[in-house]
Amino acid sequence: MSAAVECAHLSVGYGQHAVVEGIDVVLEPGQALALVGTNGSGKSTLLKTIMGLIDPIAGTCRVLGGQPGTQHARVAYLGQAHPSRSVLPLQALDVVKMGRYASLGLFGRAGTRDRALVRDALEQMGIGHLAAAPLRSLSGGQQQRVFLAQVAAREGDILVLDEPTAGLDLSGAAAYRDLVSKALARGASVVTATHDIADAQTCDQVVLLAGRIVAQGTPQQVLTADHLLDAFGIVLQSVEHQSHQDLIITELPHAHDHGHGHEHDHGHRHD
Amino acid sequence: MHSPRRRSHTRSIAAGLAAAALAVTAGCSSGDAAPSTDRPDNGRRTIVVTYAMLGAVVRDAVGDAADVTVLIPDGADPHGWEPSAKDIEAINNADLVIRNGLDLEEGLGDALDGAADDGVPMFVASDHVTIRTIGEGEAVASDEHGDEHGDEHGDEHGDEHGEGSQDPHLWMDPLTMRDIVTALDPVLSAQGIDATAGVARVAASLVDLDAEVREILAVVPVDDRKLVTGHESFGYFADRYEFQLIGAIIPSLTSQAEVSAGELADLAVRIEEAGVQAIFTEIGTSPEVAQAIGDETGVQVVEVASHTLPADGSYASFITGNARTIATALR
Amino acid sequence: MTWFVTPFTDNTFMMRALLAGVLVALLCAVAGTFVVLRGLAFIGDALAHGVLPGVAGALLLGAPGMIGAAVGSAVMIVGVSAITHRTRLSSDTAIGLLFVGMLALGVIIVSRSDSFNGDIIRILFGEILGIDSSDLLVLLAATVVIAALAVVFARPFLLLCFDPEQADVAGFRASRYHVVMLVMVATTVVVSFQAVGTLLVFGMLIAPAGAGALLARRVTAMMAWAAGLGSASVYIGLLLSYHFDLAAGASIVFVTVCMFFVVFTVQVLRAASSPSASAASA
Repeated sequence: MSAAVECAHLSVGYGQHAVVEGIDVVLEPGQALALVGTNGSGKSTLLKTIMGLIDPIAGTCRVLGGQPGTQHARVAYLGQAHPSRSVLPLQALDVVKMGRYASLGLFGRAGTRDRALVRDALEQMGIGHLAAAPLRSLSGGQQQRVFLAQVAAREGDILVLDEPTAGLDLSGAAAYRDLVSKALARGASVVTATHDIADAQTCDQVVLLAGRIVAQGTPQQVLTADHLLDAFGIVLQSVEHQSHQDLIITELPHAHDHGHGHEHDHGHRHD
Repeated sequence: MHSPRRRSHTRSIAAGLAAAALAVTAGCSSGDAAPSTDRPDNGRRTIVVTYAMLGAVVRDAVGDAADVTVLIPDGADPHGWEPSAKDIEAINNADLVIRNGLDLEEGLGDALDGAADDGVPMFVASDHVTIRTIGEGEAVASDEHGDEHGDEHGDEHGDEHGEGSQDPHLWMDPLTMRDIVTALDPVLSAQGIDATAGVARVAASLVDLDAEVREILAVVPVDDRKLVTGHESFGYFADRYEFQLIGAIIPSLTSQAEVSAGELADLAVRIEEAGVQAIFTEIGTSPEVAQAIGDETGVQVVEVASHTLPADGSYASFITGNARTIATALR
Repeated sequence: MTWFVTPFTDNTFMMRALLAGVLVALLCAVAGTFVVLRGLAFIGDALAHGVLPGVAGALLLGAPGMIGAAVGSAVMIVGVSAITHRTRLSSDTAIGLLFVGMLALGVIIVSRSDSFNGDIIRILFGEILGIDSSDLLVLLAATVVIAALAVVFARPFLLLCFDPEQADVAGFRASRYHVVMLVMVATTVVVSFQAVGTLLVFGMLIAPAGAGALLARRVTAMMAWAAGLGSASVYIGLLLSYHFDLAAGASIVFVTVCMFFVVFTVQVLRAASSPSASAASA
């Protein structure tokens, strides 16, 4: 069984300008990979390369055993917000239905199964009652749920998601995590680009990016204070909190010396 | 449901309706003559004449035998005038339409053609006269430039401008108008309009008018009979009364053409060489451009109403008025 | 009552004008919907003006104006695509320059004709009262074709308007369908300009569809609104032009723009009077 995503010596970027080089990643079916990094670190670029939206500058990238961007019905994508997404005369239902277009093509008729997938996706994201609502009348968080439902309706073997939790409230985030775990359970793979470090901790693999690969491996290996300072330029300290670990900022970005664990608590921040 | 099927359903209904309506319309227009069953209450025939000068003569000849309507209002430029929906309706409903021909009424082309196709009786004035063409004694270019200019224009502007283009300004010569009105008589009779007496009277008066004009112009020596006008509209007049056409500000048979810098420069040179004494502007001529040429050559700029009837609406006054203007300026 | 009907029942040319206008309204409803949704307004305007040299050239050569318009719009599309793909100049600047250049070229070409003023007016403002049966057939054929394309390509077009990336990702190449959309808009302009003129056809593309966007919750409804409003404008405009001796093409477009602003104002007032309606519950 081939890997879901396989990148070897991959360099990604636009035109001749490489944003990140030397990426080696293997993601198996049923696994989740998180790309963590600041804006401009190369996360979105890598995601788009995996989707086949931009060509690799060097190296190879294979998705589901083939070239990126060739198996449209099997790969679901959520990019960062596109301005026109929210102003069209569309109902939430219409947007989710679009998730089936890749399988249906130009002329395929939507059948019972398609309709069921659409309905289930809406329910899963907790917006079944908003199906007939015009998209533009929904809040940012609700719109994000609609876009996630569109992804769910695709029933992809790979989910590639850029900032999936943007704008989501607590229950939205919970619905999202549910979506991911259901996808993983049926053997799909999930690649996310995220700021949400708590989220990254739940994945199988993490790649920490900052214009280069800062660290790569399991969340425990990657999401350490040292690496995060390296990538984000801020100090985070791991804190035992009941049964799980949380990361909190202990210093503002202008901190000089990370070894001295100052006691200033600045609350939870996952940026 | 936002399904392609429902949209195609709607579309095909719309297309079907449109096709049905089109079929109905086509059925109505083919085979049917012009729907001219409405007559004015007095039961008289309606004649529609396109422009005022021809209309004046026709009115004079027809008198009470029919209702004569002139489409292009007096004072409007027949070369550029566009009809309204009601005007097109009038054309379609007329018992007889009298047009100039030779594309004088540029804006009416489609409407007149459509009416002719629908069977509206049409009289084309230019069919009954000797048409003059550019190049016969007309100095579109001075002699030196002669051939090159003539060829250039012929190639680039096609028939409308170069050698062989037909001059539509039929009304500038009383005797040409006499030919037209005489030819009108049998056509009127065919439409049940008896105007034979009126036609004969008008024809005779036009011959008298010609003599009167010659008298008025007698004060201008032949050598001074040189015309520079707004556009090339005086051809028939020049031929009849032995005038030489030096040139025009808009070197074209229509007022709708563009002035060209190069041709204006040529014109100024020709004006000076020929010793022209006046520049006659008309409808559609830019007064500023005319004045500029006048200042450059030191020649007076005079307005002549070549496309507009005078206040009394009479063709005779129109012709004698223009003759007097020219005579006064060139004596 | 007869005031509303007899101008059309009494005159074949008025009926033809009405039919032509309604077909133009249908065409513009379809193409205009995508222009509005996809934000192609500026390009649509550029196309409408850029066809002038093509039309002028064709007229001078004695060819049908539509052929010239088709050539002119093809040049505009190629030019616009080349500009947006090759250079770093903002597309707006380049498209604007291309459009102005084509317009100037068109005026230059027309100035070489002997009926300059008349021709220019007819090209810019249309001659809907002079439409004949063959023009109507062309309009009908174009309407059917454009409508068919909109149905066939409904999904990729919708995706393209929603998010070009999603179109690519679903297997519908965004760049290709973008060109198809442009060609549809160009075709609409090419067959419609004879009715309302190149200067005003842009109004027919945008105003009804724009009003539809304000009124409709779904794209099909938006197109239906656009078709209805556009057709109503044609009827009202022709009626006004007949009874009050107004320029026909301009009357139609003026009415349709007024309709847009009426809809716009109503929507603004509605939103202002019920602020809770637009706020979504969390």
